[in-house]
Amino acid sequence: MELLGRQEVWNITYDHALGETASYFFTQIRDNGKIFGRRCAKTNKVLVPPRAFSDETLLPTTEWVEVGPGGRIEAFTFVYEQFNNLPEPPYAFGYVLLDGADTALGGYFKGVDLTNPREAAEKLAIGTRVVTKFAEQRKGDVLDFWFEAG
Amino acid sequence: MAYRVRPAVVGCAIRPAITARNRSLEEIIYDISQAALADAGLTIEDIDGIVVGCNDQFDGRAISVMMASGPTGGVDRDILSTPSSSEHAFILGSLRIASGQFRTQLVVAWSPTEVSSMSEAQRLGADPYFHRALPLDELSAHALQASALNHVWPNAWVFAETVAVKNRRHAAVAWPDPPARPAAGPERWPLTERLTTVPVTGAVAMVLAGEPFVAERDFKHPAWLRGMGWATEAAFLGDRDLTAARALVEAARQAYTEAGITDPTTAFDVVEITDATPYAELIAYDALGLAPRATIAARMAEGWFARGGHLPVNLSGGVITFNPVFCTGMIRIAEIANQVRGRAGLHQLPGAQLGLAHAGSGFAMQYQSAIVLGAAQGDVS
Repeated sequence: MELLGRQEVWNITYDHALGETASYFFTQIRDNGKIFGRRCAKTNKVLVPPRAFSDETLLPTTEWVEVGPGGRIEAFTFVYEQFNNLPEPPYAFGYVLLDGADTALGGYFKGVDLTNPREAAEKLAIGTRVVTKFAEQRKGDVLDFWFEAG
Repeated sequence: MAYRVRPAVVGCAIRPAITARNRSLEEIIYDISQAALADAGLTIEDIDGIVVGCNDQFDGRAISVMMASGPTGGVDRDILSTPSSSEHAFILGSLRIASGQFRTQLVVAWSPTEVSSMSEAQRLGADPYFHRALPLDELSAHALQASALNHVWPNAWVFAETVAVKNRRHAAVAWPDPPARPAAGPERWPLTERLTTVPVTGAVAMVLAGEPFVAERDFKHPAWLRGMGWATEAAFLGDRDLTAARALVEAARQAYTEAGITDPTTAFDVVEITDATPYAELIAYDALGLAPRATIAARMAEGWFARGGHLPVNLSGGVITFNPVFCTGMIRIAEIANQVRGRAGLHQLPGAQLGLAHAGSGFAMQYQSAIVLGAAQGDVS
């Protein structure tokens, strides 16, 4: 028998409140091209991206600390599929432990030709030093910054 | 953890990959629930409560349990859901039996592939502040973990390839019908297409019963719950050591303590690991205490984890050959239950008495569980 399908498209918009902590983080990126973390007074760890409280101690964090712009790669991957509302693939993205931070920040890697994944992987080898670059036009978003090797 | 009543698995149903579109999701849920009840020789009238594991994004249904109450038999009955993972549905069902307040439970999980992009549905799992603007789905998270493991363990990629070959060989025995074995998945560096599998639609259900009910109905071959543990990693991948699985170490500690297992390297006849990628299986060998990382190369060289080896892992073929994403954790538990019940089908390990199921799920295995099941009841803790 003929089997039918029913295709649905939902278009719902969420307006997420970022709260004071994430708002400060992104306004510093937008206005000053700087990245800040939050220090947990008990462990002395600087959490990046910043959290109002530490998952580890459940205590409120107490201090803003500027981190980076240098850092080293902790993990990376290349993605070849298109994701909605993201830049054109292929993507290189991963996590960087910025100087002065104790947790790694997720972001894109640029300046690497991804045509040959093996060669690109050598240029983004874990432990490689990177520097954070900022877009000239910034809106307060993860896409305002990226990491480049060297 | 003290059990007032020892739970057992008395019925299991695992659907191979569902490719036909002649059944709606609710009809698939009905089918799998009825199949598990039939395997137990029970009817819904024997069931005191239902726990379902389901994922709203994959199902395309908000609070998916609402539509599932009918096909599982939940109308006018006790029914709860665990959106965190399918294995958590099993854990919750077991705890309800163990509390002594329920004689029986029906536990059901499913994972359709009706959404236009599983990756986009999974990306909803990332926080909308710092990570939603990244191409972060489960496969990306597994790839990040693989890249980190390759760095600290330079030959890990070689062992990952070996694990994939092993599990595909196991699948050829377990599911000899080629259409039942899905194609290799997309690449995410360093995961080649041989190390991933495309998601498929699947469903799994189990019937659990407490010791008095097992005795009353004279079940001949229940799979007794000997121990279980579960723990959760940090939500932000940048907070974690991706080369290890701290939560799984803790989950295994809980499970082994309950089960009285002091040497996991020799305790089990058969193991199922959630090999979302072969790298996850490698990490689990170490975290579960089955083989410290330094010994894995030698163990693999002698076929330790392969069919016929000392400790066969993933005789079912594992996730890399059958990947109904949200179900994969609970399927590992059902596979081990079937092994110790002697009902695992073509991949039955003769005489399997004690098995270990590892259920992991989420971004780079954020949720980790370890379940020990045995043919014998064991000491009641």
